[in-house]
Amino acid sequence: MGAAWAQAVLDGPVQVQRDDRTLELAYNFKLELSRALSDALQRGVPLHFVVEARVRRVRWYWRDATLAEGQRSWRLSYQPLTRQYRVAATGGLSQSFDSLDDALGLIRRAGRWPLDLREEPALDAQYEMDFSLRLDVSQLPGPVQIGLGSRAALEGTQTRRLHPMELGLAS
Amino acid sequence: MTPQVPDQAEPAPARNTAVRWAWMVSLLAVATASGALAFLLSIGATTPQGFFERHQAWLYWVNLGVGVLLGLVVLVAAVRLMVRVRRGRFGAQLLGRLALVLAAVSLLPGLLIYTVSYAFVNRSIESWFDERLASALEAGLNLGRVTLDSRVQELAAQARIGAQRVADEGSSSALTLERLREQWLAERVALLGPNGQVLAEVSDLGDTTVRPSLEQAQRVDLALLRRAARDGSTGRIEGLEDDGDPQRVARIVAVAVLPSTGLKLTGDERYLLVLQPLPSSLTANALAVQTASLEYQRRVYERDGLRRMYLGTLTLVLVLAVFVALLLAIQLGNALAKPLVLLADGMRQVAGGDLTRKPVMASRDELGGLTRAFADMTDQLGQAREQAQASMAALEQARARLQTLLDNLTAGVIVFDREQRVASVNASATRILRQPLAGLVGAPLDHLPALVGLHELIWPRFATLSEGAGPGMEHWQLAQDLPLPNHPAPLTLLLRGAELPDGQWLLVFDDISELVSAQRTEAWGEVARRLAHEIKNPLTPIQLSAERLEHRLAAKLAEDSDRAMLTRCVGTIVNQVQAMKQLVNEFRDYARLPAARLAPLDLNALVQEVMTLYPDAIEQGRLLPQLESGLSWIQGDASQLRQVIHNLVQNGLDAVSDRPDGRVVVDTKQSRNDDGSVRAVRLTLTDNGPGFADQVLSRAFEPYITTKTKGTGLGLAVVKKIADEHAASIRLSNLPPAPEQPASTTVSGGARVSLTFSQLAPTGAVLL
Repeated sequence: MGAAWAQAVLDGPVQVQRDDRTLELAYNFKLELSRALSDALQRGVPLHFVVEARVRRVRWYWRDATLAEGQRSWRLSYQPLTRQYRVAATGGLSQSFDSLDDALGLIRRAGRWPLDLREEPALDAQYEMDFSLRLDVSQLPGPVQIGLGSRAALEGTQTRRLHPMELGLAS
Repeated sequence: MTPQVPDQAEPAPARNTAVRWAWMVSLLAVATASGALAFLLSIGATTPQGFFERHQAWLYWVNLGVGVLLGLVVLVAAVRLMVRVRRGRFGAQLLGRLALVLAAVSLLPGLLIYTVSYAFVNRSIESWFDERLASALEAGLNLGRVTLDSRVQELAAQARIGAQRVADEGSSSALTLERLREQWLAERVALLGPNGQVLAEVSDLGDTTVRPSLEQAQRVDLALLRRAARDGSTGRIEGLEDDGDPQRVARIVAVAVLPSTGLKLTGDERYLLVLQPLPSSLTANALAVQTASLEYQRRVYERDGLRRMYLGTLTLVLVLAVFVALLLAIQLGNALAKPLVLLADGMRQVAGGDLTRKPVMASRDELGGLTRAFADMTDQLGQAREQAQASMAALEQARARLQTLLDNLTAGVIVFDREQRVASVNASATRILRQPLAGLVGAPLDHLPALVGLHELIWPRFATLSEGAGPGMEHWQLAQDLPLPNHPAPLTLLLRGAELPDGQWLLVFDDISELVSAQRTEAWGEVARRLAHEIKNPLTPIQLSAERLEHRLAAKLAEDSDRAMLTRCVGTIVNQVQAMKQLVNEFRDYARLPAARLAPLDLNALVQEVMTLYPDAIEQGRLLPQLESGLSWIQGDASQLRQVIHNLVQNGLDAVSDRPDGRVVVDTKQSRNDDGSVRAVRLTLTDNGPGFADQVLSRAFEPYITTKTKGTGLGLAVVKKIADEHAASIRLSNLPPAPEQPASTTVSGGARVSLTFSQLAPTGAVLL
């Protein structure tokens, strides 16, 4: 097996935009599956990808408060009978693709991913965002997990401070 | 491990016990945890979709951690043991060997089982995967795929023909579509616009009306339309998902582009869409083949992981088991070796002479009993040694006591061993015999030439003892004069011999010369007194009778010659009787010498008084007084001392009478103590006569011993007697020959008599 299971690099920072009661995120990954992982996919092992985002208000005296958070996950599987890749989102919407690249395209980018705001952001507070795309290793079959060891594929992580403008506070 | 220092004996075992308990408890805990982990691992490995599967990873790591921990503990224990062995710490080798044996006993079966299990697991995992099964599944999958593909292609081809027909007819009449649908047994046939919008549609639901749009879910993929535009016609299968929905019906979607008539405007194509349901049996079979194939493929993919999991589990379990076994081996070895080490250590201490009480094991088994028995034995040994030491000390004390006794005995004691060699000698023996007897120990008595006589004297008598002459003959006794070379006179020894119980010989002897001399003196006194009494009585009648005879007969004798003879004879008788009387008186005086009446006395005055009796000798220079002035007064009887001085002066003058240069010196002197006080006053008479004969020297004070032709021999005896009365010591000696005289003429340079008075008059009395 390869050194890494998947290569996922964020292509530029995650774009954040305030839209009334939601924050809308836009991101673009460079996501490539390693040979071992695509081989596993070809052999019928479904892969679960999870994108997680969390915007928190930094509190020096306590654990950070969550301003907004959200999670999207996809199940990527291969159908040898029709030679198609299927991507099933959490909501149940599924699509079939003839090529792996097309299927990954669904996961790679999002234009407007809304996150509900739990509270009104304040100007004097400091906000940070954690963003990550990862392969959900726990969904892999046991023997594969054992072989995986500690190389849990958590990739494409970004943590950055949010500008008040991005939260719609300053003009 | 064992308390080495006795004064720490109390707290150390308690701490040791606590440590041992801690060890045992932690060992048990670790062993239990390892067992539980191993069990969990094995369950996780054998139930593929269970709860443990999700926790496999961390279980694995926890196991690994415990294994590493155990390994470290074992390593530390082993290193400690090795260091102990290297340092030669007592008992470490025994412990090490026990631990090795126990470890081997636990390790070897584990390794065997591991090897067999390893091969077994490997073999059985391999046996799951069969090439023929794999190819069969692949073939089945291909079969299904080809079947489906051919159906799709067939429908696509038909769709293209249909599209031609629709294009030929020119109008998008629903009738044409319906005819086509019936011909193809399609579920639905639709005419689509360039963006997939439905222009016309028929379905087997009987509704032939043209619907403006399809449902969102049934919107046709634009990619399909684009492909159809490029290739003329295309198709694919939809609804063939493996999500297990039984209501879902798989169908073939075929799209064909309508050939354009007339001028062709891009983006204005129209498409014919055909949906034909697939037979459910076909889809079910195809899906089953796909599912099985996927499952198999996944298993193949997971094979390495599975093998790694099983074998890793096996190895971990082995490692855990081995480590636990090793720890238990070390612990067991410790427990087993401890009493032995305790025993051996105790033995070493006992061998080194340490007989203090040894620690015991509390266990009730044989080894514990052994340590207890050993401790008891050590105790008994210690007690026995103490007793032995006590008796040794008593013996030593008795010996020292005996030695002191022997040393302070006036009698000489010599002990001979069986070979007639001197075994021990006391100081008195050396003193009496005046021989270096202490250097004679280990040699026979005749080693010294001076003692050959004694040697020849005693051994025949010891021989009679050893011959066992019978009861009552345990010893012999003998008084014997023994001439000794450096002795002036023969010693009179009282010898007594006895056989000691261990075969040695004991000789005890006393110098009884003085005793014998005293006895002789006593005897002489008695003889003198009786003789004086018996002889003196007849003397007066004899004298009177002789005088009467002369008186009567002288006148009657006619002849002058007869008368003269009578007178001469009577004179002779009277003279001899007078001489005899004098002799008898002297004897009587000697025997009846009155007790001295001591009074303060100036010795110098007494000497000068006596000197006046010898005016002639003084004038001739034959008598020479040399008196120390300021002499201390002594306690003495003046009349007796006067006689002593008189006797001694007379003796001296007699001794030098036939020498022209004869001279007698009388001197007085006083000797002082260290602090200046007067210790004694000495009166010495020295003459330059012939000196005393050797045989006289020792017995000069006995009566009737004399060197003079004339004299009773009582002079020195009387002197001795008076000196004894005054507690004064008297010494006779011969002077060495004077250098100016030829050595051949005289043996000695003269005689010396010295009297030492140690009884001094009190100073107060002197002043009176």
